[in-house]
Amino acid sequence: MASVDFKTYVDQACRAAEEFVNVYYTTMDNRRRLLSRLYMGTATLVWNGNAVSGQESLSEFFEMLPSSEFQINVVDCQPVHDEATPSQTTVLVVICGTVKFEGNKQRDFNQNFILTAQASPSNTVWKIASDCFRFQDWAS
Amino acid sequence: MWSSPDKDPEDRPSMIVLKNTNSETQKHRYDLPYKRSETHCHSEYKMSHRRGFQGRKRGANYIWHKFDRRNNHFNYPGTPYAVGLKRRKERYSYEDRYFLTVWNDRKTEECEDLYAERRATERWYKVTIPSGRKYEKTWLINSIQKLCTVPFVPVDFHYDKNRARFFVQDAKIASALKDVNLKICDETSRKISLFVSPSVVPYSVQNKFSSEQMEHLKISIMKRYDASQKALDLEKFRFDQDLMDKDIDMMLNRRSCMVATLQIIESNIPELLSLNLKNNKLYQLDGLSDMTEKAPQVKILNLSRNKLKSIFELEKVKELKLEELWLEGNPFCNCYLDDSEYISAVRDLFPKLLRLDGRELIVPTGMDIEAPQLCKKTHNETELIKNLVLRFLKEYYLFYDNGDRLRLLDAYHDQACFSLSVPFNVSDPDLDNLEEYLKYNRDIKKQQDSNMRVQLLKHTKHDIVTSLSLLPKTQHDLCSFWVDLCFHSEMMLCFSVNGLFKEVEGKCQGCIRAFTRIFIAIPCSDSRICIMNDELIVRNASPKEIQKAFTSSPAPDTSLKPLLSAEQQEMVKSFSVQSGMKLDWSQKCLEDNEWDYTKAGEAFTALQNEGKIPKEFFK
Repeated sequence: MASVDFKTYVDQACRAAEEFVNVYYTTMDNRRRLLSRLYMGTATLVWNGNAVSGQESLSEFFEMLPSSEFQINVVDCQPVHDEATPSQTTVLVVICGTVKFEGNKQRDFNQNFILTAQASPSNTVWKIASDCFRFQDWAS
Repeated sequence: MWSSPDKDPEDRPSMIVLKNTNSETQKHRYDLPYKRSETHCHSEYKMSHRRGFQGRKRGANYIWHKFDRRNNHFNYPGTPYAVGLKRRKERYSYEDRYFLTVWNDRKTEECEDLYAERRATERWYKVTIPSGRKYEKTWLINSIQKLCTVPFVPVDFHYDKNRARFFVQDAKIASALKDVNLKICDETSRKISLFVSPSVVPYSVQNKFSSEQMEHLKISIMKRYDASQKALDLEKFRFDQDLMDKDIDMMLNRRSCMVATLQIIESNIPELLSLNLKNNKLYQLDGLSDMTEKAPQVKILNLSRNKLKSIFELEKVKELKLEELWLEGNPFCNCYLDDSEYISAVRDLFPKLLRLDGRELIVPTGMDIEAPQLCKKTHNETELIKNLVLRFLKEYYLFYDNGDRLRLLDAYHDQACFSLSVPFNVSDPDLDNLEEYLKYNRDIKKQQDSNMRVQLLKHTKHDIVTSLSLLPKTQHDLCSFWVDLCFHSEMMLCFSVNGLFKEVEGKCQGCIRAFTRIFIAIPCSDSRICIMNDELIVRNASPKEIQKAFTSSPAPDTSLKPLLSAEQQEMVKSFSVQSGMKLDWSQKCLEDNEWDYTKAGEAFTALQNEGKIPKEFFK
């Protein structure tokens, strides 16, 4: 029973991650203005060590970023146990890829998200509770 | 007694008989028995006294006396001279034997009792804890003393390979200690074995110094003590002239000599701050482990030019809060490939060390903890979380790198998950040398089979630790770490670590890797955290990263820079992206232009067009 339950959670997390990654990076590249709507009101973005939180701040931050072209190389995800997030279905998503911001050279990056499921009348919607982005070569 | 009236008639008939035969001869004979009898009575008196002392009844004495007396007179008259002599001799022998026997019996019994008692209290016992090295001495002794019904003083506590050992005197203590076997549980709920066995006298007790020698030792030590600095110089102490003149052998590598020295320090200068033990041929530090009790204030310790063969000897003194340590010139120092490895190993044992072998140590500032600072309360909370995370990482990678990853079991929750990813970089020519990691690569973009997805995700702490143990052996460069605090709530903490490590075994030995680790943890007991999710990303380090690996030079310490508002942070980030300059130079440009983004941009463009911006400013 535990094994079956665990497998179910894993499948759910993988489907959520696949769908989320498509939506997020498409929105980032093509519909930047809508990106902040993917975040919870209390979400925090840590961008190369700089913290941004709150809807307005996130909107302003994303507006200031130059236009982008993201390529995703690796996606991994894990279900997060109830004990860490009581009564809130949660998934950890980890992405590796490359990004080219306008006027800059292409760079490798890692990004991880914590997603939580939000119930809505017609569908389950995944929202970003936390976002942590770092260029792989940031420190060098 | 002889004056008793009822006895006189018996005496007179004897005298008459003697006169009838040969008066002179008979008189002589009579005198002799008389004296003997007197002696006999005297002896009897003594015996009687003893019996009385023993609580015997007086009546018994009286009967004995009468019997003896009557017997004597009955035998005498009809006995020939020779026979008479024999009888007298026999009587004397009997008396003598009886007396001696009684005396001997008492003496023997008394001595035996005393001896047995002495043996019981003076016997020594060795107490062994088979896996005792894992535990701190203080914790271990306190745990035992709590459960032991008889108070005891451990003598010569020391570690011998994996065992911890000490000696106690007295059979009662030994018996009480036997009852402590398997009664103590450590943090992992493992029961601790404890064995007690008879032992010879411990070395430090055997070779105890006389009080006179101790007095001389004290004088010599106090001569070497600098009260203004609270510093004691015992370099080459075996060549101390005063002690040599007194024929006192003071070899500090002998347990008894170190014990005596520490006793004098404890009694006379417990405030000692600095102890120089340079050049004393110390090959182990068991004797020094008592320092945490006898000289707890010591901050500076010089152990240079001794004979320590393993850095693990230092575990015996790691409870000291050392700020400065000298170790150069010991055999174990040659075991390290480079300085940073040596410094890292020493630092693991003495995290607060400021100077090693005279060199200032750089406080690791590679840890970059950024978190929302919405209010003062949040700031304080962030400090607590930061310290929690740093402590966790140091402990985690100590176990991860030092050979026994199974000990990481306690770091994980029962239902934890772990998976590994290897990013595909077109520019990475040596992807093949990551094969030890690629076999575990979980990339759900490429892996569509749901069973494989589940299989590659390790679940439960046992599976995780088993999996980690199969990965290549590593040495992490903690100074290369960048730590992001991604998320925290009452129930959960998410942080990610970026840094470098090298492989220390196998065909890729020496390869430098870059890694990202994302942990989700929940609070455990005693302000510790327990891992729920663990994601590891491994790739080959870039040439720049390889160049900087294990140099122990600090990464930019962003926490020392003035705190920027959220808006300012965003501006720096955006400016850096747009200009291509490094973050610190972007910040400087914005600061120089009073945080006017447009103005800063114009200034940058102008300078760039004139070619006045050095290459170093760019990423």
